[in-house]
Amino acid sequence: MHLNVLHRTPSDAVYSIFKRQQDLAHSFNLKTTVFVSYSDLFNEEVVKDAFQYEREFGDEIGLSIHALNGPGVSKIARTQNCIWLLNASAKREVLDIILRKFREICGRPPVSVGSYHFDSSALRILKELEPGVETVIGGCFEEGVRVFHGCNHSWYLFNEGMPWNPWYPSQSHSLRPAADEKDSSGIVAVPHLMRDMTLSYEGRNDFWASHPPNVIRGMGNDASFCPYDLNLVDQFRMQEEWNDGYSYYNTFVSASWLTWNHNSEYPPEVAWELYTKQLRYLGELKKSGEVHDSTLAEYGRWHRAYRPVGQPEVYWAKEMLYGSHKHYFWFIDPSRRILIDATQGGAVGDLRPYAGRVPVATGPDTANREIASYPFLIQSQHRSGNAHHCQDGARTTLLLSNGKAELDSSFLRSKIAAVTNTAGEASVTLTPAKFQFANGLKGELTTRHIFLPQGQIKTERTISNLSDPQAELTLTEYFKGAPGRTEYPEDMHGIRLGIDGNPKRQMEFDYSGEAFESVAATMVYAEVPQTRTRIELATVAGEAKSGAVKAGHLFSPYFTLFLTQSLKGNGKIITWTNLKNIEP
Amino acid sequence: MDQSEKYRTLMRCPVCFSRDTDVLMVPEAGGHHYCPKCSFNGEESEVRGMYRDIQKKFHWMTKRFTLEEQRKL
Ligand SMILES: [Zn+2]
Repeated sequence: MHLNVLHRTPSDAVYSIFKRQQDLAHSFNLKTTVFVSYSDLFNEEVVKDAFQYEREFGDEIGLSIHALNGPGVSKIARTQNCIWLLNASAKREVLDIILRKFREICGRPPVSVGSYHFDSSALRILKELEPGVETVIGGCFEEGVRVFHGCNHSWYLFNEGMPWNPWYPSQSHSLRPAADEKDSSGIVAVPHLMRDMTLSYEGRNDFWASHPPNVIRGMGNDASFCPYDLNLVDQFRMQEEWNDGYSYYNTFVSASWLTWNHNSEYPPEVAWELYTKQLRYLGELKKSGEVHDSTLAEYGRWHRAYRPVGQPEVYWAKEMLYGSHKHYFWFIDPSRRILIDATQGGAVGDLRPYAGRVPVATGPDTANREIASYPFLIQSQHRSGNAHHCQDGARTTLLLSNGKAELDSSFLRSKIAAVTNTAGEASVTLTPAKFQFANGLKGELTTRHIFLPQGQIKTERTISNLSDPQAELTLTEYFKGAPGRTEYPEDMHGIRLGIDGNPKRQMEFDYSGEAFESVAATMVYAEVPQTRTRIELATVAGEAKSGAVKAGHLFSPYFTLFLTQSLKGNGKIITWTNLKNIEP
Repeated sequence: MDQSEKYRTLMRCPVCFSRDTDVLMVPEAGGHHYCPKCSFNGEESEVRGMYRDIQKKFHWMTKRFTLEEQRKL
């Protein structure tokens, strides 16, 4: 596993804590990247120490863009600390001043630059002003709505829909992994911390991260006993098995988290102890050859040399704090990022249709303002998912029926049985889910999703062990979606729904609640200009039975696609889910 | 004085926290704390007891899962 230990010179805590952090990392033979903020470039002691760390330990001096204060900068940023939330001209002015100062003090440009986030325009301006920048800390995985709530609606960092691992930011949306070199911004980005791949989908990403004091904030520790911190390290290590031996980790704890702070009810000794345990464990893993530590610049160069642009990655998430035994599967490639919920029968819980290449920059001069998240087609946490109160929301499922008896596979709990990821094709297979209809018919359903290039997913649903081997089943793949970026609905006008069947039909999404059905349908689709994508459910002609599309209404603002096949006895149906670019 | 000293006596509201929201309570004389965002108020010992209750949902909070153990989870 690759490891970056990241530190930053403190602007709001005592400097001695930062120095203790450095000493601690070095005591475990770990090198660090020290992010120096603009105002600290005026501080002789900080600069002298940074050079000393570089000489003695091979640490890197990076540039931090977290705090936008200091000569010339404060009057532009006006207490705004987020580079991605300035307008383009202010981004340029601020970055120009800061980069000049860095060159003046360090005698060279920074190779690594840190922020919580760089939007596409900040990244482009950064690279224009300083082509020597190679690596950035580019975003916070799944930070958005829940952290906004959790921080009293006062934390305006919306980064949902991004990669969990390092990536090549595309030019048009820095959180979308580039499809190829031409699409790439020419920079390697790493996420700001590694996040729990179960709990940052279900809740706050900032509690469950590679940052021991964050876990204290989430109350996941029992004083200075917190095995979760090490469990998370090992879960990321486990991903090597399905990613060609590749895994990545970083930790970035600021000094302000290691003293009294508003996110902890424990004395600082507890945070210090847990940070020590985390670094000690990483140091032990280094000693045994399981972890390779590097500076961020070194990591970025390794990434460029060995991780091809556009390579698919997977993550098999196993929940390990509540004891739920839940499994999730994540897949990412240049066409989409997708989350499969094994506990809901292999339903899609989150779908970011990167194929549409939606361009996003943030700042007061953009229509996006503060929302940097990549738009979704499905987000079952923000948009209801499985029905539990009123109507269901964004989700997928398989509806099974036998005569008048019906079942929804989202209520069939399974786990992940197997994951593969080789030669551009990834797959996830769930454990067989036992089902029983109200009429007594029993059987097992096994779901397998195969992720192919160019936005194709092949879904196999296998029925076995039917209690009546002659039973007739009707199987309907169901896709309910809505374009969005936060938890609130967005305007769905302009969406077009269609069926390739008998007859062929098309309808405009008009909040009428209207539905159409056709027999012998081989495809149902939605064209969604908000995400610049067309989403299709398709099957081969011989298998088609019927298809339907449905517009929602204002109390249930979703479009729904249905594609039905039938099965006599045990057997398998195959459905393709295709995402296509419909850029204007 | 270290800026962080002011946080020594501050605690988050256990009711708001149970909804995943961080809200700092206001301390009053006699060790009493009240929440500006909801109607909760109580003594420190009561607050700490409620934190413990919130943590009960983490059934595996004290479990270490090594890499090999996670493969089997
Ligand atoms: Zn409260």
